[in-house]
Amino acid sequence: MNWESIFNVGLLQNTLRTATPVILAGLGCLMTEHVGIMNIGIDGMMIVGAFVAVLASYFLGSWLLALVFALLSGVLLGLFYGLFVVKFKSDEFIIGVALNIFAGALTVFLLRTIFNVKGAFSDPAIVPLPKLSADWLESIPLIGPLLNNNTLLVYVSWVMVLVCWLFIYRTPAGFWLRAAGEHPQSLRAAGKSPEKMKYLASVLCGAFSALAGAHLSLGYLTMFSENMSNSKGYVAVACVIFGRANPPLVFLAALLFGFIDALGTRLQSVGVDPTLTKIFPYVGTVLMMVLLAIRERAKKKAAQAAK
Amino acid sequence: MKSKAKVQYLVSLAVSVLLALVLGGVIMALTGHDPLEGYSALITGALGTKRGLGNTLAKTATLCLTGLATAVAAKAGIFNVGGEGQLYLGAIASAYVGAKLAGLSPWIGIPLCLLAAMAAGGVYAVVPAILKVKLKVSEVITTIMLNSAAIYFCSYLANGPLKTAEKGVSAGTDAIDKSFMFSKLIKMSSLTESIFIAAFIALFVWYLMSRTTIGYEMQLTGQNSRFARYSGIKSDKLAIGSMVLSGAICGLVGMFEVFGQHGRFIESVSKDFYFDGMLVAMIMHYKPFGIILMSFFFGILQIGSTAMESRVGISSELILIVQSIIIFFMAAEEGILASIQAQKIKRNSAARIAKEATEK
Amino acid sequence: MSETIVSFKHVSMQFPGVLANDDVSLDIHKGEVFALVGENGAGKSTLMKILYGLNEPTTGQVFVKGEEMKTFSPSTSIAHGIGMVHQHFMLVPSFTVAQNIVMCGEPRRHRFFYDFDKANQITNELVREYGLQVNPTDRVQDISVGLQQRVEILKALHHGADILILDEPTAVLTPQETDELFAVIRSIVREKQMSIIIITHKLYEVMEISDRVGVMRQGKLIDVCETKDVNERILASMMVGKDVLLDALERTEQARRQDSAIEVEDLYVTDTRGLPAVRGLSLQVHPGEILGIAGVEGNGQSELIEAITGMCPIQRGTVKIQGKSTKGLTPGKIRQLGLAHVPEDRIATGVAAPADVTDNLLVGKEKAPEFSVAKIHLKRRSIRAYARKLFEKFDIRGAGVDTPVGSLSGGNMQKVVVAREFSYDTPVLIISQPTRGVDIGAMDFIHKQIMDKRNAGCAILLVSADLDELYRLSDRLVAIYEGKITGEFDPKTIDKAELGYYMTGARKEAEA
Repeated sequence: MNWESIFNVGLLQNTLRTATPVILAGLGCLMTEHVGIMNIGIDGMMIVGAFVAVLASYFLGSWLLALVFALLSGVLLGLFYGLFVVKFKSDEFIIGVALNIFAGALTVFLLRTIFNVKGAFSDPAIVPLPKLSADWLESIPLIGPLLNNNTLLVYVSWVMVLVCWLFIYRTPAGFWLRAAGEHPQSLRAAGKSPEKMKYLASVLCGAFSALAGAHLSLGYLTMFSENMSNSKGYVAVACVIFGRANPPLVFLAALLFGFIDALGTRLQSVGVDPTLTKIFPYVGTVLMMVLLAIRERAKKKAAQAAK
Repeated sequence: MKSKAKVQYLVSLAVSVLLALVLGGVIMALTGHDPLEGYSALITGALGTKRGLGNTLAKTATLCLTGLATAVAAKAGIFNVGGEGQLYLGAIASAYVGAKLAGLSPWIGIPLCLLAAMAAGGVYAVVPAILKVKLKVSEVITTIMLNSAAIYFCSYLANGPLKTAEKGVSAGTDAIDKSFMFSKLIKMSSLTESIFIAAFIALFVWYLMSRTTIGYEMQLTGQNSRFARYSGIKSDKLAIGSMVLSGAICGLVGMFEVFGQHGRFIESVSKDFYFDGMLVAMIMHYKPFGIILMSFFFGILQIGSTAMESRVGISSELILIVQSIIIFFMAAEEGILASIQAQKIKRNSAARIAKEATEK
Repeated sequence: MSETIVSFKHVSMQFPGVLANDDVSLDIHKGEVFALVGENGAGKSTLMKILYGLNEPTTGQVFVKGEEMKTFSPSTSIAHGIGMVHQHFMLVPSFTVAQNIVMCGEPRRHRFFYDFDKANQITNELVREYGLQVNPTDRVQDISVGLQQRVEILKALHHGADILILDEPTAVLTPQETDELFAVIRSIVREKQMSIIIITHKLYEVMEISDRVGVMRQGKLIDVCETKDVNERILASMMVGKDVLLDALERTEQARRQDSAIEVEDLYVTDTRGLPAVRGLSLQVHPGEILGIAGVEGNGQSELIEAITGMCPIQRGTVKIQGKSTKGLTPGKIRQLGLAHVPEDRIATGVAAPADVTDNLLVGKEKAPEFSVAKIHLKRRSIRAYARKLFEKFDIRGAGVDTPVGSLSGGNMQKVVVAREFSYDTPVLIISQPTRGVDIGAMDFIHKQIMDKRNAGCAILLVSADLDELYRLSDRLVAIYEGKITGEFDPKTIDKAELGYYMTGARKEAEA
């Protein structure tokens, strides 16, 4: 068995590759989590973002415009989601599931109607996201090749982790956002509308999810295919629960899950089935929830005993 | 009063369905198709031929069973989103047993396979139910997570330890005994004898939910769990039991796919079948009879959509869009009505108080 | 006369089914402490929530400093200089004291960033200025209720309030904390010329702190007086109102019995927040008598009832029903000892609102042979017949036995609960607020049913916020205050004002 063929830079590169869309979607998901909404419609938001990005890139010939339009679609979907969940107080899970079905069907329908193809669409006219590289980085072993030559959104996702953390924990608006989730009446009594913060979170969630989608369709692959989000939205939800909605922790969770996934693919060469490692994020999340619940319970008991 | 609420709901439902169909028609027109032609192709495709009708009925049965599975759990206050995973486990468990027991009389073999499917689905549903009841862990998240876990686990089994050695078969587990297969009721269609079992289960669930003390106590638990506790109902046990039943039904749906269509477990045994049924149940407010009717309607839409695609050239996904629009409307129904109602109350009482003031 | 700072003009507030404020006109003066008293549900909090912009009045106008409030939202009210300390604190538990105080008026650094140091500094300045000691960096979830209240007051002051509403501020405080709070109130009124509106049940506090007092009853403002012109006795009688004239109930003479059907001994119970609610309470109820518990709400009555019926855990002490201890039993098991329970909150506990009348009447009997075959198959016909019979016997009005209970009026919903609980024919009845929000006809009917049960030999424990009801029904009365019994009385010999004295802790304070 050749361990070096498994544990090498390529593994880390693959980790990053799998993790990036999850990081972006996770950042979106944690916004809604902070206002007390569990958004499981992320998959749908991602797939629409991916589609719109390909569409804009193909027709307008610009990756930048592709990103702009993807973001716009995300904002609209976020508003749409907010309208149902915040304004009409519909069940967030039903709306999430319906959104996933709706987005999946809509993109396939439009794919068929506009390009007359089924399954997948790729064309040389689609402009991919640019890759950034610097020669001096290449010389550093391990880190160099890892940090170098990634698509734009990989770096954006890193910056965004920091930005989101600053926003949530270091700005007044971030405090309002968290207050809207933890104790909305107190925010209202202090003079701000919790509903508005919930809308804001939905919109941010849509925007981040759409970026994640754009990275799927214009990042490493330059194509759109049916169901290309491939349940990454649920992995993002898992990361948010694992990382307790704290951006750097969600980032680490996404990297962890990405690493395990990439490892699984590589262990195929030594006869380990790659699907087995895919189970990890889901089972891990359930275990995490159980642990948190048990800890919460112990804490409560201790508090009562203290009194 | 009850009938008023019922009428209001039925009107909302009719309006939602109609609006969604109209929107679907508008999309057809926008993409250069004749809506009437599209919808008539859909109807004839689903109901016009024997084969079409067979497929529609088979689809109805699947939607109906998964919908009832959702309803059973929802009645006791648990939202089972994990039926897809339970379905997969039921499918692979029954396929495994069906292959292992090859050679046995179908009279012994099939019941054992039924049991295997129900046990697999039911046991998998117990986990989130216990976590919910004992630790107050949200069953929605756990069931979603366990869905993906089950599907990947099954695909691991089907590609690894349980992969068939049969030549010329690219994927899936060993084939089950041919004599265990449900025979087709209509040639070339997917309607098989399993429809009878499905009908029996539907009847059983309906009976349980609306005619027994168990269903009655489940209902009270779901409607107000504090009231149930106050009244001395064993609500925890009922909640767990209803979830097990829900999972068992999902397991059976998985088995019907294997024993009716594929003859072995394959990775694509279900395409979000459970989610479709779950949404049907949700828009019908978990009422068994309503679920059966709406399943038939959605069955027509789904089967008809393929005919619509092949005959008129409208992408079948349009129908999924129409379905999700219905769901959006029905999920928001109460919110929309409530905001209208609140304004009405405010207007009325302001007018009344003003009137009283002038009378003074 | 001093300057008017807040003025309510013909304000009415209609909630679904309840007229919470009925044509209230009231002026508050600058620099005064105004006390608003009344029983629960009298409309005090509703009126103050209008002033703070949390409720929009159905009709009427509100003027602040001569300016009419056109829109009702907390931000407008804050801009008008109104601050409110809510009964249930409006604080975010995971935020620090300083972060809560400056919420929605946060100091910033570089335009975007939250300036935590500045927030702490602001808090410290407020602490110095008003003498309310708090630590800015503590998390709210970790500090005591008394400190949380200070945070609420400082928050209002930080927002620039010169009119401060305190909604039952002393309900959660210890006597020492109450004294401290009153000292602060006096000093800010004296030094800052602030106006204070304080909502309370406790009449001795009204006498101690306020300049003027307004009494509310059933949504109406009954009277406004100078505090120096009234005493607690007068206020108590204004609060509870005149007697409603109802025919006397037929009360059969019961032989004095020594055995007790309900026996509570040295009971300690905590409320949902883990704070002590019942503190060493003992009582006994004998067969054939009604024991009434009189008390202002929030003095441990709810927890006492929940502990007896098994709905909440017992901290210490014992409860015996028919001589058997309820230790470790579920509510269902306790019922089997021979107890039925009419809960105080019928919608949250007493019914399944979406279910129909039949389903709500049947519960507990569904496995009886009259109503099911082999405890499984429901006999729908006999169930319906049974429901109809009860429906008629208890004179439940509203569409019929198929009507969802949630759509019935309060009185009819309560009749459903009473009909069901009384139909179990148990020797022990626990009844809490049997006629709250119920019209007078239904009230009289329910009273007769309760009296019939008593005459038939039931042991009945009755909790009510309605003194008339207690006087009409009880054979014995006890007053409860802060989780303890403050006295036992014969309803025939004690008058309401005297009883009110014991309920508000006045007598205890006077003796102390």
